[in-house]
Formats: sequence, structure tokens, C-alpha cells
Amino acid sequence: MAAPEVHHLFHHPIADHSFSADRQTLAIARDTQVELYGRVGNAFKLKDELKGHDKLVTSVDIAPNTGRIVTCSQDRNALVWEPSPTGYKPTLVLLRISRAATFVRWSPSEAKFAVGSGDRVIAICYFEEENDWWVSKHLKKPIRSTITSVAWHPNSVLLAAGSTDAHARVFSAFIKGTDQRPEPSPWGERLPFNTVCGEFLNNSAGWVHAVAFSPSGDALAFAAHDSSITVVYPSAPEQPPKAVISINTQLLPFMSLFWNGETEIIAAGYDCEAFRFQGGEQGWQLAGTLEKAKAGGRPGLGGGGEDGREESALNMFKQMDLKGKVSKDDTQLKTVHQNTVTMLRPFEESGGKVTKFSSSGVDGRVVIWHT
Amino acid sequence: MSIIQQHTQATLSDAWRTINIDALTEDSSVNFDVSTLHPPLPEVSEADARAINGQVRQLLRGGDAEGALRGCLEMPVYNGSEAAKETHLHTVIEVLQSIKASEMTPMLQRIYAQQGGSECLDVLMKYLYKGMGATSSSADGSSGRATPARAMTPQATGFSQVGQRPMAANESTGSAMSVLLSWHEKVVEVAGLGCIGRVMTDFRRV
Repeated sequence: MAAPEVHHLFHHPIADHSFSADRQTLAIARDTQVELYGRVGNAFKLKDELKGHDKLVTSVDIAPNTGRIVTCSQDRNALVWEPSPTGYKPTLVLLRISRAATFVRWSPSEAKFAVGSGDRVIAICYFEEENDWWVSKHLKKPIRSTITSVAWHPNSVLLAAGSTDAHARVFSAFIKGTDQRPEPSPWGERLPFNTVCGEFLNNSAGWVHAVAFSPSGDALAFAAHDSSITVVYPSAPEQPPKAVISINTQLLPFMSLFWNGETEIIAAGYDCEAFRFQGGEQGWQLAGTLEKAKAGGRPGLGGGGEDGREESALNMFKQMDLKGKVSKDDTQLKTVHQNTVTMLRPFEESGGKVTKFSSSGVDGRVVIWHT
Repeated sequence: MSIIQQHTQATLSDAWRTINIDALTEDSSVNFDVSTLHPPLPEVSEADARAINGQVRQLLRGGDAEGALRGCLEMPVYNGSEAAKETHLHTVIEVLQSIKASEMTPMLQRIYAQQGGSECLDVLMKYLYKGMGATSSSADGSSGRATPARAMTPQATGFSQVGQRPMAANESTGSAMSVLLSWHEKVVEVAGLGCIGRVMTDFRRV
């Protein structure tokens, strides 16, 4: 397994990151702006800044085919940035929410996107040709609290959402005129807008931090604040699910997760490293960390040197002289990320498997990992 | 004069910040019973709690400390009167006090490895924190809660191995606290920090 590729961009939390389809451009939500980094050799260099929000940008997503960037912010707005020869042009989206927008994702069809908010609604936004304007419809019921994350089903109609009311829900976000009628699935057959196809809660009912559909769309995973991951296998519309499997871990809670095929989930969060879960309908288990602890320090951490510092006798006595004790340098974590990982995204896929994925966190690092 | 209001120190107050806008929003969380979000929990009466106490004691007398511990952790009192919760807390602490320090870790590991063992240790953690709360409030004596000190002293009918001395409550709460703390350490070793996180997030309170 090759070493992860570490990009320490700045000393500031990264709320969200997204790569373009060619993986040459990296969009980073930093404070009130979105920074675009271009790949130069092995590094990413700042290329452009998208300034349009006046509060913290909470989420950013690049549509792989159209290249459009959507951002949302605590200023209650979402902007669609259209690429043009002279740079990116922002268009304001009518979200009609009175609290912060928390999370945004393009649907796989790229014709619409979903914005989660603190206003107990999810705005499903689509482009209205006649008005030349992005408008939105609200998914409202039965959300009782802030939406922390959303994830699209591969059919671009079903949407999963995690909320601080401890529920992970599956909604229909069918927009007439924009969407094709979806194939029937275990989640439902007829799916008018705002159909609730599933509502799931785990045992201790903590905040749901992340949701994700499996590649086929026939299973849903969510991570909650009780350090657990729950996988739901629906059976048929209006029926209780075939299986709901909860894995409580000994770790700190996970903030983000994604599926690697149908039998593997990778999740990361407050433990600052990614973990692998494996299983299926019969059961799931924690398979271990993706961090490879190598002898003589971790790969790529701070460009070397820092780690492999020699503990010489001279150094020891110097420390004793300065501090009155031999202090171990314990300000560094043993993980590549030095703070909470807030977002994981598949980076490179082949044959239905994710071969590389990227992570970003509070420590201002973006890391590309091999699975 | 301009129609734009001129702010002076007097008019520019921040009183509006103290308005609870959630209360004015019809379907906001403060106007909504959050407990309806969870499935209802079975209610346990005080008599039930006493019955569990009896069974657990029997197991203890029979020398099956692990069975006793598992038994009382599998039937936590989530929904019940204060008295029922208090009774169950006594039961748990009685069991904890009767287990030797050297047996703690192996016993916890065995329980954790079993089906549903992780939940059992989460419940144990809840009772440890509840027990610590009860002992500390009895130590400063300022709490108005019902006889927390009683939680620590073994009841007269019990066959608890903790010596019963007429000495002050302080000493017994001190020793009870040290029992709870050493259990806490062992539980974290086995069930990890996730266990503490779950106790804090869980809506089911003991």
C-alpha cells in the first residue's frame, strides 16, 4: 500500500472539500470564501478565490460533468458558480430559509441539488428555464431539527438526510419536469415529492453526522454521535427493513463515511483517522484503521524531520536544563490528520471499487489515501 | 430629517437579542415534545425494581457475581419513578462492591464479548456516573435529593461483603467513590471512549 498523499494547505479548519472530475482542481471551503487550488506537480497551489458569501461557507460541491460549483453558507444562501472563460460567475439560489444552510450536494444527474439547513427543511433546488433562475422546493415533514448532511441515491430522486433530531431519513425529491420517473426500488414505487421512504433511529439516538447510500442504492449507512454506524437494508415499500445493523465502537464519533462497494464502509471523525468496516446483511464489524504506522514515523507528516528527531543525550540534557524534566514531544498525534476529520470523499474509482479517497479536517490538511 | 433612523447610544440596545425567537416559531423544537421522537420505553415500577434486587442478591449469594452484574445491567430502569431508579442504583452498586478488583477486567471483557455486551457496559457506565453524582451530592450535603447517602450503605438485610460500620457517611461515600472510580477506569479500558460518548448522547437516562 502506497503512502497517503498529504497536502497541508493552511492552518485553518476545512469545512468541506471537493475535487473536479479530472482531479486537477480542488475546492476548499475556508471561512467565508471558497478557495480553488490547482495541481502543480505534486502540490496544490492557490488559483482562485470565490468570494460571494458573507458568513462561514459550510459546504461545497463540484458537479463532475458540468463543472459547476455549488456552495452554501451560514448566511442562508447558496450560490451556483458557473465556469466561464473569464472565471466563475455566481448565481444566487432562492433557498427561502431563515437559518444557516449546512450542507449541499449535487444530485448524480447534476440537474438539481439539495441544501440542508438549520431551518428544519431541505431545499431541493433546480433550474427553471423560463425564469432563468434556480428555485427550490422544501422537504419539510417530518424534520424536527437541523439537517447535518444529505446524500443522493444513484437514481437522483431519493435523498437521505441526517439530522440532529437523531433520525436518518430517506425522502423522495422528485421534481416534475426535471426528473425521469424512477425505477421501483425497495425504498418505494410511486414517489411523489416529500414521500418519506424511511425513518431510522439507532438505540441511543445521538445526532446523525453522516449518511450514505450504498453504490446500488439498496442500503443506507449512517454515523451518529454515539460512536456508532448503522446500516439499513430496506425490504419493500411500506415494510419494515430487512435488517438494521448497528455497530457500537470503542472509538470517538464518526463525522463522515462512504461506501466502498457493497461490503465495505470507510468512516472517519473525531479520532482523526479513517476506519474500515466490513460486512453485509448478516452483520458488520470494524475491520481496523487505514493508518499504516511505519517504523520511524508516519509517511508524509510535515515533510519529515519533525518525527524522526533524534533523541540524543545532548538533547535530553538540554531539555532537562530548560524544563527541569525530560519531556516527550507529545503535541503531535500519531495520525496523519492532526485534528478531527470532517469530510471523506471517494477520489478515484475503478470497477465499482474506490481505490483512492480524500479526507479533509479541522487541521487544514487534505489527504489522499489508498483504500 | 432622514427617514433612516439615526442610532444613538440610547436607541441602540441589544435587547432584541434576548428575544427567544424559537418560542415565536410555531413548529420549532421548543414548542414540540421531543420525547415523541423516540419509541416509548417500558415502565418499571418500584416493586419490579425490588424484585430484580431480590433476584440479583440471590445470584450474588450463590456466588455468580457475573450473572448478577449482567442481570441488573440487562434490566435498567429508564422509565420509572425516582424511587424505582434509586432502588436499581442500589442494586447495581451492591453488585459492584461485591466484586473483587482482580476480577473486574476479565469479567468486563467476558461481558463485552457476548451478544449485546457493548450495551451492557454502556448501561454500567450510566450507573457509575449516576452513582458518582449521588455520592458527591451526599458529601456536600447541599442536595435536596432523596437520601443519596443511603445508596452507598448496604441495606441491613443484604449479604454484602462491605463492612458495615456506624462511622460517618463520609467514609463510606469515599470508599464507594473509589469503587466507582476503579470500575470506571476498567470499563473505559474495555469499552473505549465511545462508551462515555454514548452515555452522554443517550436519551435513555437511568
